[in-house]
This record gives sequence, C-alpha cells and structure tokens, in this order.
Amino acid sequence: MESAEDWLVESLRLYQDFHAFDLSEATRVLEWIGDKGVFVAGYESQKKNEILHLILPLRLSVNENQGLFPERDFKVRHGGFSDRSVFDLKHVPDTRLLVTSGLPGCYLQVWQVAEDSDVIKAVGTIAVHEKEGHLWPRVAIFSSVAPGVLHGARLSSLKIVDLESQKTTYTSGVSDSDELSSLQVLDADTFAFCCASGRLGLVDTRQKWAPSESLSSCPGSGGGRWCAEVGGRGQGHGCSIASLGSDGQLCLLDHRDLSHPVSSVQCPVSTPSPDPELLRVTWAPGLDNCLAISGFDGTVQVYNVTSWHGMGGQVEPLFTHRGHVFLDGNGIDTAPLVTTHTWHPQKPRTLLSAASDASLHVWDWVDLGASG
Amino acid sequence: MPDIRVTPLGAGQDVGRSCILVSIAGKNVMLDCGMHMGFNDDRRFPDFSYITRNGRLTDFLDCVIISHFHLDHCGALPYFSEMVGYDGPIYMTHPTQAICPILLEDYRKIAVDKKGEANFFTSQMIKDCMKKVVAVRLHQTVQVDDELEIKAYYAGHVLGAAMFQIKVGSESVVYTGDYNMTPDRHLGAAWIDKCRPNLLITESTYATTIRDSKRCRERDFLKKVHETVERGGKVLIPVFALGRAQELCILLETFWERMNLKAPIYFSTGLTEKANHYYKLFITWTNQKIRKTFVQRNMFEFKHIKAFDRAFADNPGPMVVFATPGMLHAGQSLQIFRKWAGNEKNMVIMPGYCVQGTVGHKILSGQRKLEMEGRQVLEVKMQVEYMSFSAHADAKGIMQLVGQAEPESVLLVHGEAKKMEFLKQKIEQEFRVNCYMPANGETVTLPTSPSIPVGISLGLLKREMAQGLLPDTRKPRLLHGTLIVKDSSFRLVSSEQALKELGLAEHQLRFTCRVQLHDSRKEQETATRVYSHLKSILKDHCVQHLPDGSVTVESILVQAAAHSEDPGTKVLLVSWTYQDEELGSYLTALLKKGLPQAPS
Repeated sequence: MESAEDWLVESLRLYQDFHAFDLSEATRVLEWIGDKGVFVAGYESQKKNEILHLILPLRLSVNENQGLFPERDFKVRHGGFSDRSVFDLKHVPDTRLLVTSGLPGCYLQVWQVAEDSDVIKAVGTIAVHEKEGHLWPRVAIFSSVAPGVLHGARLSSLKIVDLESQKTTYTSGVSDSDELSSLQVLDADTFAFCCASGRLGLVDTRQKWAPSESLSSCPGSGGGRWCAEVGGRGQGHGCSIASLGSDGQLCLLDHRDLSHPVSSVQCPVSTPSPDPELLRVTWAPGLDNCLAISGFDGTVQVYNVTSWHGMGGQVEPLFTHRGHVFLDGNGIDTAPLVTTHTWHPQKPRTLLSAASDASLHVWDWVDLGASG
Repeated sequence: MPDIRVTPLGAGQDVGRSCILVSIAGKNVMLDCGMHMGFNDDRRFPDFSYITRNGRLTDFLDCVIISHFHLDHCGALPYFSEMVGYDGPIYMTHPTQAICPILLEDYRKIAVDKKGEANFFTSQMIKDCMKKVVAVRLHQTVQVDDELEIKAYYAGHVLGAAMFQIKVGSESVVYTGDYNMTPDRHLGAAWIDKCRPNLLITESTYATTIRDSKRCRERDFLKKVHETVERGGKVLIPVFALGRAQELCILLETFWERMNLKAPIYFSTGLTEKANHYYKLFITWTNQKIRKTFVQRNMFEFKHIKAFDRAFADNPGPMVVFATPGMLHAGQSLQIFRKWAGNEKNMVIMPGYCVQGTVGHKILSGQRKLEMEGRQVLEVKMQVEYMSFSAHADAKGIMQLVGQAEPESVLLVHGEAKKMEFLKQKIEQEFRVNCYMPANGETVTLPTSPSIPVGISLGLLKREMAQGLLPDTRKPRLLHGTLIVKDSSFRLVSSEQALKELGLAEHQLRFTCRVQLHDSRKEQETATRVYSHLKSILKDHCVQHLPDGSVTVESILVQAAAHSEDPGTKVLLVSWTYQDEELGSYLTALLKKGLPQAPS
C-alpha cells in the first residue's frame, strides 16, 4: 500500500501541475464562471452551508513566465450562506446571478454575486411543485437576453421558467414520472435529459413534447442509476453522448440515433457506486474523444474513446487520478469519495476534482502514451 | 467607560508594514514596527506622529513588542527607536533577538550601499536599538510593570515567531503577528490556550485565501530541481540561513535517497557557520511544547549533501547548491549566480521575497539583462523560479485559532473591509463575536467591563450567614456594607466597622410613611385586619401582632390611627430603618392597594 510520500514522488512523473486544497466543507458543485473562477457549495443538511466564488491561483491563470508567480492559493472572492444543502449550482451567463437546488426540493434559490463587496446574497426563489421529500430538481440555464431556468425532478415536472418574470415558458406536459438525473442545455432551443433509469432524450422546445430518445438504458445493464453528458470533440460525427451507470457501464451514443448505442464498455471501477447521485461523466472540451468519470471511489478516471466499438468490452483508463485517496490529510480512515469533477475550459489536460473529505484538487495530467 | 483602543498605524491599505497601537486599561503598547518594502521614501515607515506630536515616545509607550524577524514586522525598529526616539523596553523571543539585527544590517547595506539612500539608520543605531531588547521565553509571564504583563505563544511561521498576550488586570488582548496552523518539517503549528482575551488581533492578508498544501509546494520544488538536474543543468538556491534551508535540504536528501540520484548537492560554507549557531539557539527555544516536531540531528549529517567549495561552481555536470545571502545581493550566492546565469539549462530558485535593489528582486520582476559592477551587462538565460514556502494561516486557519483562544471580539488588520464582509459574517456567526476591520489610521474602541475584585470582611460575611436564609445562586441577595478604597485595594466591610475605622459617629435613619385607608371600624380592628392580611401574604417573613395593637413585619412597625378629620378613614403609619428600605417600600405599596373585604 503506497504511502502519501511514495505517491507524491510518483506524481512528479504523472502530473505537470498539481495543487491540493482543503475547503472548510465538502462540495458537490464545481461551476465555472469564465475560465478563472469556480463556485463551490456545501451540502450538509443540519447547518448553514457556504457558497464560495474561488479565483484560481494566479500561477494557473498566466500563460507566460509561470515561474515568476509564486501564488498557488485560491482566493475567496465572494461568499454567501445557504440555510439548506446545495446539490446543484448554475451560473446564469452574462449576469451576476446564480441558481441553486437542494433539499428540501420545493424551490430553487436565486442568488446575486455583489459587485462592490464580497457577499453572495439570496435575492429570490423559484417555486417548484415537488411534493416528494427526497427528490430535488435538476437545473440548467437557457442563457439569452431573458434567461430561462430549466428545472425538474421528474419528466412530468420539467419546465422552463423565465428568470425575471417567473412565468413558465415551457412545460413537458407529460405524465411520465421517470426520475431525472441530469439536464443539459445544448443551444437556444434544445436541451438533453437523462433519467435515473438511463433513458435519454433530446428535446426541441419549439415543438410540443416529442423528444428523440433512447428507449431505456444500455442493453445488458441490470438497472442501477445513470447519468449522461452530451459533448465530445473530434472524429467528425457531430455530438456524442456518454452515459454512465452505477454498475460501471459506460455507453456512447450518437445523437442522430439514440436507440442504437455506438458502443458500451465496462469500466474497471469498484461497483456499485456507494452514492450513485454522485456519478459524473464529462467530455474534455480541449481534447478529442476524451472523457472523465467519477463517483465510484476516491478516483477520477480519464478515457480515450477513439477506438471503442462493440458492446461490453473491457477498457483501461488513459489516466487515473488517485490524489484524493493518498493525500487524506484529515486522518479520517474512511476512504473519501469523489463528489464531482470538471475540466478546465482552456487548459486541455487540467481538471478540478472535489471529494467528500472537503479536499479540492487541481491537476494537469501527463499523457504518458503520447509521443514527444 | 473602560475600553480597549486599537489603531493600525501607517498610511494606505497595503500589506507590508505591520505596526499596531493598543491602549488597554491605561497602558499603551506598540505591536511590531515594520517597514513597507514597496516604498523608498518616508511612506515605508509607519506614521509615528500619530502617537504623539511633541511628547516623547518613551513617556507615552509602556513597551514595544516584535512578533518575528521579517522586515515587514521589524524593519522600522532602529528608525523608530534611534531616529524618532524611544528608550523603553522592546520585547521579542530569543531567536528573533538573534536574527533581527542581521537582517536589519543586510537591509541597511542594500539600502545605503546599493541604492545610495541618505536618511537611513546606521549600523550603530541597529546596535543601540538591540540594547533595548528584553528577550522572552514561550509561555513565560513577563511583568512589564506592576500592572502590565505579557506572554509569548508559539506561532509557527518562522523561527522565533510568537503570538503575544497583553494583559492588564482582567483585560487582555492577543496579537497573532504572522502564524501558521499547519505544521511543517521543522516548525510546529501555532498554539494558544483558551485564554479568552477581550480581543484577538490578527492579520487578514491571507484571510480570504485557501492555501495550497505544503506537499504540493514541495512537490513543485522537487520537480523543478529534478528536471533541471536530469537535463544536466545546475540549480542555485539562495537562502538565508536556518529554517527554510534546512527544510529544503531534508526534502532533497529524502528524494535523492529514494530515487537513487547521483548529482551532488552542496551547502555553502557561510551557511554552515551561521546555521550551527542558530541551531543551538533553536534547541533552547524549543525546549517547551514544540520540541518533538523539531528534527533532532546535526544538520550536516546528510548523506548526499556536502560542504561547498567555490571551485566546484566550475565543475561540469549537474549539481544543486544552497548559498547565502538569500536575495542574491552580495557574497557567494551572487558569485555563483554570475557564473551560471548565462546557461539556459540552469535554474535559480528564489524561496522568498527580495528587497528592491537586489539582484533577486530584479530577476523576479522579469529582468533578463542586469547591469553589474563596472557597467558589465549580465544576460540571464537561466530559468528563474519564484517559490513561496513561508506559511501563513488562511481562512480556515484563522477560524481554528479563534476557536482555540475564544476571544470576545476579533479585529482584522491589513484588509479591505469591502473585500472581507463575508469573512466577517463567517466569524461573527460561527463564534458569536464582533469582528472589526479598521483601516490604517482608524481607531477601533471596544468597551469592556473589567471585573474589580473586592475583599469582603469576615465579620460582614458572618453576619449575613447568620441571617439564617441559605444563599440562592439564582437570586441576588441585598447586602448592606461600605466599600473602602485605599491604596488600590477594595474592601467591603460592615457600616459599623467603616464608621469605626473612619472615626465617624453613627446616625440612624428612620422613615415613616402614612397610608390612608377607608375603614370606619375602630383602630384596633383595622390593626387586626392589617395583621391578618400581611400574615397571609408575607409567608416568608416574621409578622407579629403586638399587645399594644401595632403590627411588626421583621423590624418594620405598622400602627393604625384614626384620621383627625374623617372618621371613615384610618391612617396607617409605616415606619422602617434605612436598612429595611426594600421591604418598607414594598409594604407601603402593598398597603396602598387597600385591605381585602373582611368576611362578615
């Protein structure tokens, strides 16, 4: 069993840059604002949670003469307090507004990031008609001159609400009570949804509800809980969808034909995930055909999907970030679980990852397979 | 009103000149006396005219306390004591006392010799200033005078850094200076007991940051050294002396061992002598709580690190050299730098801040062409890396320290109030304390309620106990006595004793109140009714009906008399001595409400 020291020596070879931080509370949220700041928020149920706007260390933001910038610390640029746990946070682009969702799930909270001080203040709520106590609505933002908030805990309760007027501008209008696991806005008129069951759909808001969708989760899967992300670069076949199940199965789909997955693989992870709500799959914005997954243990795995084909194959990750497992500075013996991760919008191989022990890592992994 | 007043001195909001004035229970203390490294003129010194425009500083200040040897905390000390004028005591820890003058002298040389400054303190002034220093040990209570005492606590951060508690009677202030809540290889973490000061003063420079872990900083250092050595380059690390240098050596030694590396690592000779001297000092200073975190070894028992000889600088191939001085402004480190600067395979790692005017400062500002003596131009092709190892408490660390000390209020200096509103809220909510953020030159006044101990005479205590009723901690008990203040002592004695001591005659005061009642019966019957009424209500008191018709409640007398003009009205005379004021007033109010209707 490697010690922290051993791992750190290994890390010289594995990472270009590596930064490890201890937040005062764990976060499930990593939401970018521009490419220099992120929001994090606490999710404990019995106390006040903090929402923080963190500015990335200067060293990571400069492009030249990095060596002359000794600052390796995050700066807390803004902070606010939330009475309830925050499970999701979205920034409304081109505004100073944030929308958060958590438990109890009967409303969304709207926040304003102050301009002349460092305070994040609650400025309003959006009512959500969710009766069930344990469900919380997923959120995505349609950014435009009049931003709209897409939210819902189930397909039946999906709606878009105009942020300013609070008027509902779109509803799914279906009675389908499938539970939602993620929502993603693709452009001004389209969004994607993924249900916990694995069912995926792309919706055009200009039409009455008629999503192009997959029928169920990936063939051969035994249920479990799923999440998905639309994205992907490279290989010219337009947008790809990656769908991840709590049993470790990862499916790739083409948006033009959701009913027939392009491929599916079994990822080498410990299953089932201890908390399937924490499953994340993300496409790398700066690399072709690369994605990352987390939520099974204290690691984040990066895969190159270029040569994937067929169903049920075994794959190996291109890279595995084990920092959260080895750098447990708190001395708690329960293994931390990665709660969320995100790619840096500009730096191709830089990721941020957060874990249940309140650690936050920023890492730039070395592609050992690449030549030169 | 008793209060504590705090004023951070100096103009501008910039970090870099710590100097705080504290007034506590009539005592005036100056905390730190730093230099602002960014300015070349008088703006680099705190504004001492704030303290007193024409009075002598020695008369006004009871003492000066210096938290640690960094120039932004002690750089203005010789100017303050020798050029402005202060002859009182200057308190600091032993290592600070040893290292301060060296840094001050270095700084003086750079300012005067390199930059040609005129109005600067001299070497003699530094020496004269240090003569006023009184060194203190950790956790040792030092009496500055018979009322003011101070105590130093371990602060981590750098060798000799301390947090100070300043106490007068029951009022106290804790000043943190710079501190660190996470231990590193050669320094422990700051620690303070639950001393519950009225006020905790702390720097807020890093209050709004979240620190990258020590391990990652070390990793970055190792990576840079390793990469340079792997490509055949040479690494120069200019260091001061003890502390950081030792830590980096331990790090490299461990790494070299593990990776089985062969490139030589050297320690320059100037470093060796100084380091041994401070090493011994360090041991004495760490006799207390932190000894177990200190690496107990002769620091030159390294397998892979050897003493440097200047001839080695010309050896081909990779190597790593630790050399003094730390800012590349003179001596061996500068010599080596000149030899290696022209090769892009080489690297210089600056582990700390460099003062303006030094080569270190120039290359950290990005300058690649340097003018040396004799108008020679040196082209800097080697890689320049600026790394910060000095440890400061971040937002989390500040919360931890506040949690340890449990102050009534917190004061943050060196921050912009608008940029710390969130931190203020966080501290106020978590600890239910007030949080202040004064600008430089602004005074914060904290009202305090100092407790004054009073001695109570045995006679008085005994008399109270003899009253029979047991004391009830939930109910206040009225006690009559006389407070005698003499020669700063407070005594509470019985009135009789006070009168005796003062040689005064005793006078008795008796009050009588007339209460009118509508009652057409005879006086005797009215008196009986009064007796029954009072007996039923005042169950805790001794109510008696005397043979002559009057009613007594304890020592209070109630008599019924007929009204001179109106037979339907009776007048009750209620009479009591001064000591029974409370009960007397209560009885009167009660009787004024009238008597209950008698059953027929």
